[in-house]
Amino acid sequence: MKSKYIIIALLALSSLAFGASESVVWSDNLIDNILGYDKKGSLHLGQYFTILQSTYFKPLFLGVLFGVPAVFLLHYMVIGPMIFSHDRKKIYVFTLFHRVIHAIAGVSFILLIPTGLIMMFASTFGGGEFVRVCKEIHAISTLLFIVSIVPMFFMWLRWMFIHLDDIKWLMIVGGYLNKDKKPVPAGRFNAGQKTWYWLATLGGFIMIGTGAAMYFQDIRLDILASNHISQIDFLRASAIVHNALGLAVVALFFTHVYMAVFAIKGAIHSMIDGHKEEEEVEILHSSYYRELKEKGEV
Amino acid sequence: MSENARLKFYCDEHRCISCDGCSVACAEAHELPAGINRRKVITMNEGILGLEYSLSIACMHCTDAPCEQVCPTDCFYIREDGIVLHDKEKCIGCAYCLYACPFGAPQFPSDGAFGIKGVMDKCTMCAGGPEETNSHKEREMYGQNRISEGKVPVCAAMCSTKALLVGDSAEISDIYRERVLSVGHGVKTQPYGWSTAYGSKI
Ligand code: SF4
Ligand code: SF4
Ligand code: SF4
Repeated sequence: MKSKYIIIALLALSSLAFGASESVVWSDNLIDNILGYDKKGSLHLGQYFTILQSTYFKPLFLGVLFGVPAVFLLHYMVIGPMIFSHDRKKIYVFTLFHRVIHAIAGVSFILLIPTGLIMMFASTFGGGEFVRVCKEIHAISTLLFIVSIVPMFFMWLRWMFIHLDDIKWLMIVGGYLNKDKKPVPAGRFNAGQKTWYWLATLGGFIMIGTGAAMYFQDIRLDILASNHISQIDFLRASAIVHNALGLAVVALFFTHVYMAVFAIKGAIHSMIDGHKEEEEVEILHSSYYRELKEKGEV
Repeated sequence: MSENARLKFYCDEHRCISCDGCSVACAEAHELPAGINRRKVITMNEGILGLEYSLSIACMHCTDAPCEQVCPTDCFYIREDGIVLHDKEKCIGCAYCLYACPFGAPQFPSDGAFGIKGVMDKCTMCAGGPEETNSHKEREMYGQNRISEGKVPVCAAMCSTKALLVGDSAEISDIYRERVLSVGHGVKTQPYGWSTAYGSKI
């Protein structure tokens, strides 16, 4: 069942690689700003791409790269981590399958994010062979990302739809602004985790698509031609979307790591052995805890 | 050439006959791999009477070169005479320069298996690259360096109708202005004879 999706995804990707026979980049649409008589213009994204890439993307990534950890450092010093009792029972929350898929996704993120940032700041690293190798690692680790993100999308989907708890959770910023152990409104996954899930899966699919477009460059998509969108404008759009989403991915990845490793002491163990502390579930996922109680599972 | 010369191309669409000689000459002179066309001839409004014209297009060596602004490796450099060049040893083949370029100039040869693209190649205005001038390495990586030898870029040099002009931008515009002003002038209605050759007086 799960492997079916993986195979479909791999086939889709490989067809992209081999489908490109004749160049679409260097065809009639090559120069999309010199229009022949009666020809419709494309999106004219060249100037937007140039302005964004030359002026905005690097500072924005720098901002995320240093700003997000700075905010968390402040949070850690002012409010500090949540510590839950390790004496009570443990609740089994993640199956082995969940954990393996999560681990593959984790490895792919650890490869994708630094290599992506190295490409963005290529001049700092002197360009050349080192950055070229990073570019290839970025591409290869996408395969790991695909094999993890497809099953992840389906295995957690049913818990990820928006719920009234999520709005309440957002109103109190998940209870992270103080150390009171008041029950936080959240089901099996809280609003923060849900946001990360949707960004990593749906956003992830967009990252894969736009990234593959830029990597293979000459992918023929007939839907573009029939909508008067030139291949170069499609590539420009891909670059803009890939970088903008990339900003969000880096920011939320940092948040995710901070939560698991620092903000909630010991939280990372649930993704290693599958168990969460009972008190942690009771406070941070109070609706889920109530459900378990009703079912008599705790 | 004036002191602050900026070298530019101009293709006179009233003269270009779409012979593709420029792109063939370029590819041959620089021994470009198949599939790489530093110069291309495009035909606009094809088949529409009175509106059809052809143009030869390559890197236009832009004044505020957008390619240079977006390159993440900062591998571009703009010579004092305005020629936009880049360092292939730094380039990572990300194609951002292609996305920024208004003229579709940057090219990417496929690099080995899977059709993965290699580092960028584009028109150098026949001025080589950052390697030692006229060295074997420069020639291998960037093609001929004709500018250093005082020669005109090969595409413009061989253009049979002299549609493709290259040189100091001020001079190019002078030539073009003269061409426009002299349209229809000097049209001969009589065959050349003694009077044309020696004048009427003996
Ligand atoms: S590559 Fe394109 S943007 Fe860069 S100088 Fe040449 S024409 Fe201009
Ligand atoms: S392909 Fe090369 S020259 Fe072009 S933007 Fe990327 S690194 Fe710079
Ligand atoms: S100037 Fe040289 S490199 Fe550029 S198109 Fe002409 S022949 Fe090719």
